[in-house]
Amino acid sequence: MATHYLRKAFSKNLPNHIKSRICVSYLSTLPKMQHEDVQSSYEESKFKLSVPDAFDVNRMVKIKNLFEAGVHFGHTEGTLDDRMKPYLYGTRLGHLIINLNDTKRLLQQALNVIAHISYRGGVILFLCQSPLNCLTVENCAKECGEYAHTRYWRSGMFTNSSRIFKSETRLPDLCIVLNTLSSTTKSNGGQHSVLSDAAKMLIPTIAIVDTDTNPNLVTYPIPGNDDTPSAITLYCDLFKNVILKAKDVRKNVLNNKNNMIEA
Amino acid sequence: MMSITRLFASLVTKKLNILKLTSNYVPRCTYGLNNVGSNDPGIEIEEKKIVEEKTSLAMRAYLQRATLYNNFMEQQTHEFQVGKRHLANMMGVDPETFTQKDINEAIEYLFPSGLYDPKARPFMKPPSEVFPPKKDAEFDESGRPFHVFFYTGKPNFYLILHNIATKLSELNKFEDSLRKNNILPDDNKKLSSIGSQWLSKEDVEKLTVEKLSDYEYKHFTIAIERLLKHPCSYKYVEFIAQYQKPMITTKAIMESSPVEYTKDGKAYVTVKDCPRKSARADVTVFYPGTGKLSINGKGIEFFDDIQAREQILFPLLFTDMVEKVDIEATVRGGGISGKAGAIRFGISWSLRSFVEPETVERMRIAGLLQKDYRRRERKKPGQARARRKFTWKKR
Repeated sequence: MATHYLRKAFSKNLPNHIKSRICVSYLSTLPKMQHEDVQSSYEESKFKLSVPDAFDVNRMVKIKNLFEAGVHFGHTEGTLDDRMKPYLYGTRLGHLIINLNDTKRLLQQALNVIAHISYRGGVILFLCQSPLNCLTVENCAKECGEYAHTRYWRSGMFTNSSRIFKSETRLPDLCIVLNTLSSTTKSNGGQHSVLSDAAKMLIPTIAIVDTDTNPNLVTYPIPGNDDTPSAITLYCDLFKNVILKAKDVRKNVLNNKNNMIEA
Repeated sequence: MMSITRLFASLVTKKLNILKLTSNYVPRCTYGLNNVGSNDPGIEIEEKKIVEEKTSLAMRAYLQRATLYNNFMEQQTHEFQVGKRHLANMMGVDPETFTQKDINEAIEYLFPSGLYDPKARPFMKPPSEVFPPKKDAEFDESGRPFHVFFYTGKPNFYLILHNIATKLSELNKFEDSLRKNNILPDDNKKLSSIGSQWLSKEDVEKLTVEKLSDYEYKHFTIAIERLLKHPCSYKYVEFIAQYQKPMITTKAIMESSPVEYTKDGKAYVTVKDCPRKSARADVTVFYPGTGKLSINGKGIEFFDDIQAREQILFPLLFTDMVEKVDIEATVRGGGISGKAGAIRFGISWSLRSFVEPETVERMRIAGLLQKDYRRRERKKPGQARARRKFTWKKR
């Protein structure tokens, strides 16, 4: 449970009454803590959180690929959200250009987070509200054995989950939002409500943020074009590959551990 | 930074002021996993060994719920069996051969109810029909859901939409490849929706075991309609047919009733119990004939009304058969318009055997072959008639 670390780190500085208010309902969806006294194997120590780039994700992102997929194209100048300024390179013919160096750095960071969460058996939810890219995102989730929600977002899906799913439900441990703005949602300035809901439930989010969106609620924003199918396909491929890789590693480590116990 | 500068050097004309910020500037507070991989994490991270999760809270809650439900159902079934035996003994019948039909009759006899709505009357049914079935667990021991679209809340429904979208994109690719080779999709193979309709909202709900809103059902019909209208849709006939059902009414209308022959070789068709309001008519149409008409032994003068007479003649005029058939009808129950309507339906229904299929289709469109299921609306208390209110003035 990767969010376990996050929650621990976050709750450290909170006063007690807030801590209980925020965490109790969320805690209830977590599996019971299990203590085992098996010595951690060599493989496991290789994938510790303190190891930089444990899953070798940095090599996966190449600026050339990003450029070819059109990740650097932002929206027009007039639609700029001031909070996106740090990630800009400049403008051309009235259109904003995103700095791919930032994109690369943040994308690597996000991939690293995905790998670690996936390695620890976390549930990852892909979200997207652009009808053009729905199918790509759904297929991506299907292929890597994770989950997708590309449809109308019912409010309370996370915050009132036991009511909506009619039972105690494990919520995702990470939300990947491929397009944060949709033309149909009017609330929150058109922002996907999952961002605020996930923030309330202390679920980390990774989001592709275009130049017209507010990156403040996103835990791991990735500045980049969120409309073009080629760019979305590129992100999906990266996410898919890294999840599959981490799952593979997890499977190997668990197998080895089982063998050790049997031997 | 070098590579990107080179890429953009020729493209970018103007740079924004904000670029003076240092490149490492991250405008958010950083905590937790942001420190993953850094040499100097701001907070101590406690490493936890990875283990296969065996029981999540979600799973334990489900198991508890399932046991409760099973126990409850077991008890209810037991009570039902006991009740059934008592009922059989009360009615003086062998409990072993006491069927559900007998139970219904016994209940109606022992607890006569004057309540108007049948649903409000007492009943006794097996518990499996009374209590809604519960869904099975949708997640494994660790709480991971089985279904890709679990978090949408309506996974089965959205899986259908996903499948439709997948097929549509495949068809688009297929059509592109055809057109690349200068082949146009075959127009003759094109599917049409004539004679069939999409599954109703209730059917889709039953198929997916999920409650749908009108809006979602509209989405479904739009999507499947789009797939059907694709010029290459013939590739997925079976897939589309899953969500279609034949229009039973049109099918029944096009199959004309069997023709019988009298001793002297005259063809005739008899239709029994043609309904209209509370009237019922048995109509026999002889072909060929001379235009004789007998209703309960009388001619057209059986009806005094012009309107009722017109009703009888309408199907004959419509199909141009006035002087070509003989009609014998017996009619009972109902009033004047009910009797006339019942005979009219009987004549049109039997004429199907003696006219061209095109005329049948014209009759169907004119509404001659449609049974009229409307009944008299009951009078309400506090009102003069079914809808009419008493005259009322405030002061």
